[in-house]
Formats: sequence, C-alpha cells, structure tokens
Amino acid sequence: MTSFFRKLSWWARRRSREAELEEEIRFHLEEETGQRQAEGLPQNEAHQAARRDLGNIGRVQEDTRATWGWTWVERLLQDLRYALRNMRKAPGFTATAAVSLALGIGACTAIFTVVNSVLLRPLPYPEPGRLVRLWETNPKQGFARNVVNPWNFLDWRERTHSFEGVAAFQSGPANLAGQGEPVAVPAMQVSPAFFSILGVAPLIGRTFTADEETPGRERSVVLSYGLWQTRFGGDRAALGKRILLFSAPATIVGVMPATFSWPDSKPELWVPLPLDRDPGGRSGRFLQVVGRMKPGVDVKRADQELKNVAAQLAGQDPDLDKGWSAEVIPMLQDTTHSVRTALLVLLAAVGFLLLIACANVANLFLMRSSDRASEIALREALGAPRLRIFRQFLTESLVVSLLAAAIGVVAGYAGMQAMLALLPESVALPRMGSIGLDGRVLAVAIAASVLTAVLFGLVPMIHSGRLASRSAFRTRARSASNRLRRVFVSVQIALALVLLIGAGLLTRSFARLISVQPGFAIEHELAMGMFPSPIILNPRERSQYFEKILAEIRNVPGVEAASSIHFLPLEENFSGSCFSPPTDPLPPPTAQPGAQFLVVGPGYFTTTGLRIEDGREFTDRDRFGTPSAIIVNRAFVRRYYPGENPIGKKLVVCWTLPNPAVIVGIAGDARQTELGAAPEPTIFVPNLQAPSFFATLVIRTRTEPDQLAQAVVAAIHRVNSNQAVSNVRTLKQVFNDSVGRPRFQVLLMLIFAGVALLLAAIGVYGVVSYSVAQRTPEIGIRVAVGATRGDIARLVLQEGLLLAAIGAGAGLAGALVMNRFLRALLYETAPTDSTVFAAACGLLLVVAAIAIAIPLRRATRVDPIAALRHE
Amino acid sequence: MALREPSRIDLLQGTLDLLILRTLLTGPAHGHAIAKHIQRTSEDLLQVETGSLYPALHRLEAKGLIAASWELSDKGKRARYYRLTPAGRKQLAAEQSKWQAFSRAMGLILQEAQ
Repeated sequence: MTSFFRKLSWWARRRSREAELEEEIRFHLEEETGQRQAEGLPQNEAHQAARRDLGNIGRVQEDTRATWGWTWVERLLQDLRYALRNMRKAPGFTATAAVSLALGIGACTAIFTVVNSVLLRPLPYPEPGRLVRLWETNPKQGFARNVVNPWNFLDWRERTHSFEGVAAFQSGPANLAGQGEPVAVPAMQVSPAFFSILGVAPLIGRTFTADEETPGRERSVVLSYGLWQTRFGGDRAALGKRILLFSAPATIVGVMPATFSWPDSKPELWVPLPLDRDPGGRSGRFLQVVGRMKPGVDVKRADQELKNVAAQLAGQDPDLDKGWSAEVIPMLQDTTHSVRTALLVLLAAVGFLLLIACANVANLFLMRSSDRASEIALREALGAPRLRIFRQFLTESLVVSLLAAAIGVVAGYAGMQAMLALLPESVALPRMGSIGLDGRVLAVAIAASVLTAVLFGLVPMIHSGRLASRSAFRTRARSASNRLRRVFVSVQIALALVLLIGAGLLTRSFARLISVQPGFAIEHELAMGMFPSPIILNPRERSQYFEKILAEIRNVPGVEAASSIHFLPLEENFSGSCFSPPTDPLPPPTAQPGAQFLVVGPGYFTTTGLRIEDGREFTDRDRFGTPSAIIVNRAFVRRYYPGENPIGKKLVVCWTLPNPAVIVGIAGDARQTELGAAPEPTIFVPNLQAPSFFATLVIRTRTEPDQLAQAVVAAIHRVNSNQAVSNVRTLKQVFNDSVGRPRFQVLLMLIFAGVALLLAAIGVYGVVSYSVAQRTPEIGIRVAVGATRGDIARLVLQEGLLLAAIGAGAGLAGALVMNRFLRALLYETAPTDSTVFAAACGLLLVVAAIAIAIPLRRATRVDPIAALRHE
Repeated sequence: MALREPSRIDLLQGTLDLLILRTLLTGPAHGHAIAKHIQRTSEDLLQVETGSLYPALHRLEAKGLIAASWELSDKGKRARYYRLTPAGRKQLAAEQSKWQAFSRAMGLILQEAQ
C-alpha cells in the first residue's frame, strides 16, 4: 500500500522527476569527465569518453523511468494518442473498420440477447435445475411430450421416489364475473403442491391446501398480482372476498407476488384442480405435469424411475396404458424446445457474420501495416522495441473494436427490440417478456470485441514480424501479406455464401409454406372463444345454450353464417379419439385405431368454406334424439376406406357420443395443428349431439370481420349478460400468426445474409483495389510496352474472380455440411435444393463482379507516364 | 500491467543490487561515486555498466531499500545522494548470507571438480 502511495506521489511530481533524472545524469557525466581529465585527457576527449561509457542516454533515462512503475500508464496514453491520431488521419479506414465490426457485433448482441434470455437464463424459481416436466409418450405411435391421464398422474405421484413433489395442471380461460363486465382471463387449475414445487410463496394470504384437491368443494382462488391490482385495486381486503367463477362462488385466499410468472403463458388466477379416481378419468389424456426432483437426483434417474412405473401401469391396466410410456424433461429445455433449433441457427449465422466482419477488419489493418512497413522499420532502427510497436498496433485495433462494440451493442439491442415488436403476441417466444441486456450479454459483447481486436491486431503484427525490417526500406516484398489477404477474402466469400444459401433455403421453404391452402376461407371470418358461464354439466342443456347463442349471432346484420368448433385450426390444438367398426365385442380402446376429432356446430362447413366433397354437412336436425351423425375427411377415407365409399357406414367413436354413429359426409382435407403439418385422418362430431365444454365461435361476415366483433359480443350478452368471451380474432390473423415465427426467422436470416454479402463485397473491393494501387507501376509498364485495356482488365478480373471462385467453392462445400442443421426448420425443401444453391452462387458472383468493377475501371485508366513517375 | 520489454540490466540485476547496498553501508554516496567504489574495491574486476546503474538505483529506491536526497558534493555541486534505509540494511544482510552460501557451494563444487 505504501508503495502504491509512493508511486502515486511520484506520478504527481512526474515532470520534476524527469528534470531531476536529467540533472542526475548530467552530474554523472561531469564527474566522469572531470575524472578523465584528471587522468590527463583533454577536455573534449574526456567528455566524449564519458558519453561513450554511459551509452545511449535516452535509453538509460527510459530504463530508469521504467523502474518508477507508472510508465505503462504513460505508454498507454501515448499509444492511445497515437492511435487516435492515426484514426483521424485515415477516416475512411476507421469508419469502414468500425462499421464492419459494429455490424458483426451488433448482430451478435441482438441474437445473443435473445438466446441468453430465452435459452440460457435460469427459470425464475429457486433451484430451477431441479424442476422438470413429466409427460406420457407413445413410442409406437410417435407421440412424445403427450399430455397425461389423471389416473396415471395419481399413480406416478404415489409410486415414484425421485421427486420432492409432482403437480398436475391445466391451462384455459376462466370466466370471472360479479364485479363489472364479465371477463375471460387466462387461468390455471393446479394441484395444491404446484406453488411449493415451484418454491414461490404468496405475497399475501395462502396458496392451496392438500385437501382442496377433493372434487365438489367450493373453490379457493389465488390471484396474480396484476389481476389483484386491476380488478381489486390492490386492496388487502380482497382476501376472503367471494367472486363468481363460471357463475359459481369462489373465495380469494391469496395473491402471488408481481415477480411470479409462468414461462409460456400469463395466467391471471389459479384454482385447485379437482382430482380423484373418478371412473370418468379412466380415459383421456389432458393433464400437464411439473415436478421438483429431490436434491441429488438427476434427470436420467428420475426418467428411468418414471419409465419403470409407466411400464408397471401398462401391465396392470392395458386398456388404458398399453403401448404408453413416460419421460422426464428438464423444465427449461421443455419450455424452450419449440424455438431452440431456430435460435441456435440464428446464433450460428451471426457468428459467421462476426467472422466475416473480423476478416474485413484484419484485411484493412493488414493493408495499413504494409503501407506502414517502412515507418515500422524506421522506428525499429531508431531503437523502438518490437514489442512496443506490436502493442501500438494492438491499441489501435482495440480502440477501433471497442468503438465498434459500443455502436454494435446499442444498435443491436435497439434493433432486436424493434424486431421482437414485429412478432405477434400470440406467437411470442417463450420467456420473451424477460428479454433484456444483462451482465452476461455485455460481457459476451466485450469479450467478442476484445477477441476480434486481438485477432485482427495480431495478424498484421505477426505478418510484419516476418518482414525483414531492413528489406522494408528497399523492396516492397509484400507477396506474403497479399496471400494472407486473399485467404481472408476467400473465407469471407465462403462464409457469406453459406449464410446466403441458408437464408435462401428458409425463404423458399417459407414461400412454400404460405402458399399452402389451409382448406378453409380466411377472409371475412371472425372467431372468439367461449366457455359457458355458469358451467353447464348437462350435455343437452349445453347444446341448447350454444344453439341459442348462435341463433342470436346469426340475426346480427352483416353476419352471413355462424357456427362453432372446439379447437380452431392453425393454433396448434387438436384432440384425438379412438374408434372402431361396431363389432361385438368391441376391441379394447388401446387396440383400436385413432384419429383426430373436431366437435363442430351445424353449418360449420358452410361458414368456413371447408368443402363437403360427398354426402352432406351437419344441420340443426343432427341433435339429441336423432341417430348420431359423423363426417370424416379425405385423409380418413384414404387411410381406412381406400377405394370405398364410406357414406352410410357405422362407427363406434370413443368420444362421448350416442353410438354407433353413421358417416353422413366426406369433407376435404384441411390443415389443423399448423399450416405445415399434413392433414391427419379426422372425424367431425356434431356439437348438438356431443357438445364440448367450450367452443370457438366462427362467424362469416359480409364486411370486414373486426368491425362486427362488438355487435357479435353484444348479441351474446343479450342471451346471457354474464357470458365472457375471450381472444377475439379474425381467421386472417390466425393464419398470419401461425406463420409468424418462420416469417420472423426468414426476415432475420435475410438481413444477416444481406449484411454478410455487403461485408464480403467490401472485402473483395478492398483487396482488389489495393492490389491495383500496388501494381500501378507494373500496369504502367505493361501499358507502355503495348498492353491493351482488355489485357489490363483481364489481369484484374482474373485476380478478383479467382478469389470469388475459390471462396464460392469452399462456401458450397460448407453449405452442404452446415445446412443439414436447417433440416428441422425447412418445409418441403431439401437442404440441398439446387435452385437455391445456384441462385445464391449467382447473386454472390454478381455482387463480387460489381465490387471488382470499380478498381477495374481505375486500372484500365492508368496513365503509364504518371505511374512510372510516381515510382 | 502492460507488457514490459526485457531490460538490459536483467542479467546483472541481483548482483548489482547487492553491490549497491553493500557500498552504501559505508555511508551516503551519489551514483558516480558508487560506480567508482565498486570498481575500486573489486580491484577493477567489476566494471559497472553505467547504463544499468541508474535504473538499478531508482528501482531500489522504489522498493524503499534506499532513499535519495539532493545534497552538495565535495566539489560544491548539487548531486543526488543515496543512503541505506533500515529495510535496505535488512535486505543487505539477507542477500549477503545467501550470496555467501551460494559462493561457498560453488566453490565446493568447483574444487571437487578439480
């Protein structure tokens, strides 16, 4: 410490120290001179001898100053001043280098911000590494991450030992009434252990107790902080208040803290999930499960134990579980599985971009170091240590890269926020709310820039180290540096081509995707969700309620037709059911074939334009008391009745329907889960015979659909003023949202590929024009001895196009290797699509040709006399 | 700390430091006198490189082993005089015994080799 203060005080008196040192050495010289004079030398010779004896005075002073311990600060400042002066002297160079690098670092920051927030940042619960999701699987039928049967969940809970706790839950809207306008809010029904498994305590009040799982009790409600604020004014007196949930009373028992969130949805309230071994729960899979592993248990062991339990269950209850198994997936991985590949591809893309930018900057520095070779040689001859010169280069590149990092981080972050704002809310990335800069993002950005600075700062150093310092005075032996520059440019072109091909493949795939005919109309169609309030348990009454509401909607002026479906297409929802011909006895459910099924109201096909290819559609005569009618789609016929006409055939459908049902019509194929998923065999069931608990109303309008939304809601309220509706949207929106993520990805990839192309073009331009400038005397001589403009042009073209061709070749090979990682993201497009490869190559060569054209023009106009005089 | 280039005094460093400390044991002296004293007492066997002398003096000062002040020389000129600090005295004793042990060891080995 004292030594630090001593240094500090020296630093303060640095100037006088310099003077003192000078005086000290002067005194030494005088003493030595005096002594030599005393030995008999004449005064001037004595002085000479003393000087010789002391050696290089500057050097002695320098070495002495070095012991003061502050020299490195001084030198740093000196280097900085020098670097800034150099940058000012070459603004074009500085700007090109900084902008290239800023583009690379900016793109990296943007994507890494998202990757960090979505994939890397831990879940917002204590010890999140122990949180897992539990799913059923059916390896034979290819179902992974399948929702869980209630009985199976109860058995898992009883028989496994790897978990501190497991909780089942179900998400969906809840109708809230009793205070103002009825609203449908996103809600979760959860096992009582849900909150303690996540490890989050309520802000006020309590969460659920174990006995609240028993069905038939009056429900308790836990509110989100947001709902507590908006609906109850943040009043503590809300605790104990009774509210109407689906028109049934429920008591508020707790409020969660504002920081509590669920990764992929925004639930506003939680109610206990009633669960027991009710025989009705013996069929159907619909629960989601979250669990917390005991400390020290790893996922592999938990997974193995759950699989063992599932195997026991399959043996005990084959009707329910034959062919079924289970899996445990870390919760973070499970939450992000839908975006993981896409994000990693984007991350690789920006990594390439950064490399391209680095190559550009390295080349710029390399050219400068060649230009400065004589300066370096001179300074070395004057005694500057090589390391010192190297450090100066490093300082220059650090200044440039930190400048670029500052620009890049700010621009990249702002750009990413702007891009994310383009993502429709309904297709938001999981955990997107938490996307933001944090220490890790900044650290990565700074590390990236320092690393790149060292990389492109070192290259010219190593290179200049190879130049014999003396030869730099005389010759211009720069072939080594030229070779290195060409390698860099070829690598740039190769990387840019890989990106270009990747972007091209995604674009082609996206074009194919959005040209898919969904099978139904998307214009002039309005949709909204509805969960009857109060919940109507009697199916016949439920069907009548839906009928009444649809009738009222059909009377709204501007409405052409109205019907309903339980899961709207293109929103990643579907239901499955087993079925069988009416044999006696029926095969057990697990031995029956399966199909998707959709519960639709009368007139659904007319309303949505989904074609009836044969037979008829459902009418309001297909109701309770008449024989059950079903409609199957073309895919169903192809699979189960190839070459036959199934109309009039009877089927027993596992879904609650008075059986057997008669096939009355064949519908065309339509996309259900998502646009890119091929149509599955599907059975349509009439809502008037097997009404679902909830419905999505679909309304065909004569005018713009969103203009009618209010009138339709008003019509619903005329039937039941407490009926809430949720998620009002047009089918056009549904369609656009369903391709929102691929569109987002294509957009980003196109931007990145464009930037890569631009950077590569700058690289080609730089290298060729530099080489033209270097070869100006040679060109002058060639012209003087009779070379034509064509000859000169060929000379330059050869050099430029050779680079482009080598780069393109490497790029094609690289693309073949890299692009198979894109396979999962491509729709009906091969990762080796030759059109895309050819188009990308063509585009690259055209851009390269343009970049070469400018120096080419300059080369063909070289005036031989001026060129030779210059030399 | 920034990169530091290898200095020319590295080879001599340890010994030169020891010699300076030993010289100052007899009393304060300026740089030139120190150099001459080392030369003289070593019977001209050791030629002190002046180029390394001043960096060494300043380094020892920075370490707090010696202290410096401006005083008038015997010829009436202003000179920078160095003197041992208590820390320097302690260091000298330690270095001296280390050096003696080292030279004794060297001597033993070299004698044996004869």
